[in-house]
Amino acid sequence: MAAPRMMLVADFERCTGCRTCELACALWHEREFNPKRSRIAVLRDPERGVNVPVFCVQCEDAPCVASCPTGALQKDRDSGLVTLNYDLCIGCKTCVSVCPFGGIVVDPVSNKVIKCDLCGGDPQCVRFCPEEILHYVPVTVANLMRRKKSLERIPKLLELALPRVV
Amino acid sequence: MEGIGGYAGRYLEVDLTTGKHRVRDTPRAWMRDYVGGTGFAARYLWDHLTPGIDPLGPENVIFFGTGPVTGTLGHATGRLVVASKAPLTGIWGESHVGGQLAPEIKYAGYDFIAITGRAERPVYLWIDDDHVEIRDASHMWGKTTRETFKLIWEDVGDDSVQSAVIGPAGERLVRFANVMVDFYDAAGRTGMGAVMGSKNLKAVAVRGSRGIKVANFEEFYEVIQRIYAKATTGEWREIANDTIRGYGTPYLIDVMYSIGRLPTKNHWTGVFPEAEKINGEALKAVRISHKSCFSCFLQCKYVHHVDSGRFACTLTGGPEYEALVSLGTNVMISDLGAIIHANNLCNEYGMDVITAGKIISWLMEVYERGLVTEEDIGGLRPKWGDVDLVIDLLHKMARREGIGDLLAEGALRAARKIGKGTERYVIHVKGLEASAQDGRSHKSIGLAHAVNVRGADHLRGLCTYDELPWAVKYAYERFGEEEAKRMVIDDRLDPTGKGYLTWLTENFYSIVDSMITCKYGAMWPMIYYYDDFAPWLKALTGIEELGSERRLALAGERIYMLRRAFNAREGVGKEADTLNPRFTEEPMPEGPGKGQVVELEVMLREYYEYRGLDWETGWPKRSKLEQLGLTDVAEELASLGRLGE
Ligand code: SF4
Ligand code: SF4
Repeated sequence: MAAPRMMLVADFERCTGCRTCELACALWHEREFNPKRSRIAVLRDPERGVNVPVFCVQCEDAPCVASCPTGALQKDRDSGLVTLNYDLCIGCKTCVSVCPFGGIVVDPVSNKVIKCDLCGGDPQCVRFCPEEILHYVPVTVANLMRRKKSLERIPKLLELALPRVV
Repeated sequence: MEGIGGYAGRYLEVDLTTGKHRVRDTPRAWMRDYVGGTGFAARYLWDHLTPGIDPLGPENVIFFGTGPVTGTLGHATGRLVVASKAPLTGIWGESHVGGQLAPEIKYAGYDFIAITGRAERPVYLWIDDDHVEIRDASHMWGKTTRETFKLIWEDVGDDSVQSAVIGPAGERLVRFANVMVDFYDAAGRTGMGAVMGSKNLKAVAVRGSRGIKVANFEEFYEVIQRIYAKATTGEWREIANDTIRGYGTPYLIDVMYSIGRLPTKNHWTGVFPEAEKINGEALKAVRISHKSCFSCFLQCKYVHHVDSGRFACTLTGGPEYEALVSLGTNVMISDLGAIIHANNLCNEYGMDVITAGKIISWLMEVYERGLVTEEDIGGLRPKWGDVDLVIDLLHKMARREGIGDLLAEGALRAARKIGKGTERYVIHVKGLEASAQDGRSHKSIGLAHAVNVRGADHLRGLCTYDELPWAVKYAYERFGEEEAKRMVIDDRLDPTGKGYLTWLTENFYSIVDSMITCKYGAMWPMIYYYDDFAPWLKALTGIEELGSERRLALAGERIYMLRRAFNAREGVGKEADTLNPRFTEEPMPEGPGKGQVVELEVMLREYYEYRGLDWETGWPKRSKLEQLGLTDVAEELASLGRLGE
C-alpha cells in the first residue's frame, strides 16, 4: 500500500502570531534568521489579535505550475509536492501573481522565488510551533480535524449532544 | 563580523538637532563583557552622558537596544530595551517591552539605536535597512498611540512595519509617559516616553530584511530543540498552562491574594476581599484573542473587549497584573470593565499604568487622612473606589489639565509641592512609585525594591523561589541544599540570607535583560538558568566567553554594578536605598503576612557586602569595580569623590 498523502494544516483560529514558525523555516532552508526568507508567513492583525499563517498548500491543479514559463515549478504526483527547481527559476514572479493564497515568497536576497517543500517530510514550522496549531498529517486526518473545528463553532448544540451518564 | 552569530555587528547613532546619523561597528569586547541589551545600554549611557544633565534636555540620549538572541529562534526573542536618564527619577532609567519591534531593528542591521538632540518640529524616524530618514510627524502630533501606529502604516504604505510610539502624554512631557509597541505592549516605567517627547520624536518605525547569522548551525539546532522542549512539554508546560500561558499575568491576582501580597488601598494592606472579581478567570469572560510577542514559547498576551455596560466597546490588550492592582485593588476598584477602560486610556495616552494609578491612590489616602483639602487638589474629593475620579484624573494627567499638570510630575514631586506631610504616603523608592509587591509578606522583594537601580520595582531583582511554598523545591534542585538553606528559601518571612539571594537574582536578571529574553521563563516559571543560556549563547554567537556560566554570571554582576555606578555618578547613594515607613514600621494589618514589617537593615548589610558597596555611603567600592574590569568607572567616581573605600 502506498504511504498516505500528507498535508500541512493549521488551526489558524488559535495562531498567536509569534512567528516562531517563520524563524524555524528560514533557519532550516537558509541557515539564517530572517522571516522575510521564510516559506511560511504569518499575517498579523495586532490590534485585534487575529493571525493567519500562510503557506503553499501544494495544489493538485496548481496555477503556479501551469503559469511557470521555464518549467521550474512542477507537480510531483508521487509525493503530492509542488516542487521548485531553483536553477530553472528566472525570477519573473508570475507564480506570485497567480497563486490564490500568497503561498509563494519573493526572496529579498535573490529576488527570485522560494516556496514550501515540507522540509522533506519533517516540516520545521510544525516542530517549533509553541501553540501546536500546525500539523503535518495524512490528508484524511486533516479533513477530520477541520470538520471537528466546525462543530466547535456550534457549542450550544454540542452541549445538548453530550451524553449524560448517571 | 566574520564568524559571529546573533549580533548585527553595527549600531546606529542619530542626532535630531543636526539631522545627521552614522553607523558604527559594535565593539567585539562589548559583546564579551556586556552581552547586549541592558549591558550595552549601561556602557553606552555611561560613556555618552554627562552627570547632572536634564533628562528632558537635548543632550540626553534615548537608547533602543536588542541583544544577541533578538530576532533569532529561541524563547522570547522579541524583547526590546529602552533606556535613558529618567525624567521621573533623575537616575538610571530603563524599561523593557515585548512585541515585535526589536527583531526588526536587528533585521535592519543594528544592535541598537541611540538618539540624541532635539528636532525643531515633530518628527519620526523611519529606518528601512540602510535608509535612515527623519520624517515630518506634524500630522501625528496629538494622536493616540493606536492612531499613531496606523498613521505610520499609511505613511510608509506597509502594515507590517513595526514601531515604537508615544501618545499625547509623552508629547506633553508627562514624567511617566511610556513608549508603546505593537499596539498594547508598553515600555512603561521611568518616563521613557517623555524623553522622546522632549526630542519632538513621535515614533521610531523600522523595517529590516537582513538575515542574522548563526555561528554553529548543528550545535545551535541541538541546543535550541532542548530549550524549546523545556518550555513546551512536560512539567513546565503544565505549569505554564495553569498560569502565565493560560491566563497571562492576571493569574497573579489569585497567587498574590493567597500569600497576602496583593497591594490594596495604597499598599496599606495585602488583602483585597473582592480579588476574584478581577482575577484571571474573570478576565477570560471578556477575552477575544490570544497574542504573543515575537518567537515566544510561553505566549502570555490576551486581547480583551468589553461588550456591555458603561464601558462597552473597549478593545485593548491587557490589563496585566500590575494594572489590575494600580487601577484596581490599590484604589479599591473591582469593576473589571472600569479597570479595562482605565488601562486602555493609559495605553492610548501613552502613560505608565503603575505610576498613574499609584498617584491616584496616594491622593485618595492623603485626602482621607485630612492632610489636604479640596482647595489643595483642584476641588477634588477623592474617595476609595471612585471610578469616575480615576478616569477623570487619567485624562487630566495625560493632558496636564488643572491638578493634572502637577500630578503629571509624578507623586513625589507633587507631594513636595503640596507639602503638608503628604510625602509620607508616597509609596516609592528613588522617586519611582512602587509596583505591585509588598515586602512585608515576602521579605526579599522588600530589599529588591529598596536597592533596584531604577526605583521601587520588581523586574530587576524579584526572587520567586521563596515566594510560593511549591516553588521552593526548584531552588533546592538548582542551587543545591546547602545554598538553599543558606538563603532560607523555605521561609519568605525570614530576612536571613535574602541579601545574598537578591544579589544573585539581580545578576542573573542582568543577563536576561541583556540577551534579551523574557522574565517569563527565567523569573517565573523558572525554566531557564545559566546552564541553559550559556550553551545557547555559545552556539548562536560563537563567542567562547558567553558559553561560560561563570563568566556570564560575572558579566551580570558587571552590568548591574555599572548601572549602580551611573546612579552614584548622579549623586544618588545609600540614602536612596530605603523603603516607605509603611513597609518598615507599619505591621501588615491582616492576611498571611499579618504583623510583619520589612527588616531592611539586616538584608541591606548582607546585600552591600556582596554587591561591593560602602556601608556608610552606598558608593561602589574600588576593589569590586576593579574585579569586574570597571577600572575606568572607578577612576571617574574617584574624581567625583563617589568611590567607596
Ligand atoms: S509558530 Fe504557530 S502560533 Fe506562532 S505564528 Fe507560527 S503558526 Fe502561529
Ligand atoms: S512570556 Fe509574554 S511577555 Fe514574555 S515574551 Fe512571551 S508573550 Fe511576551
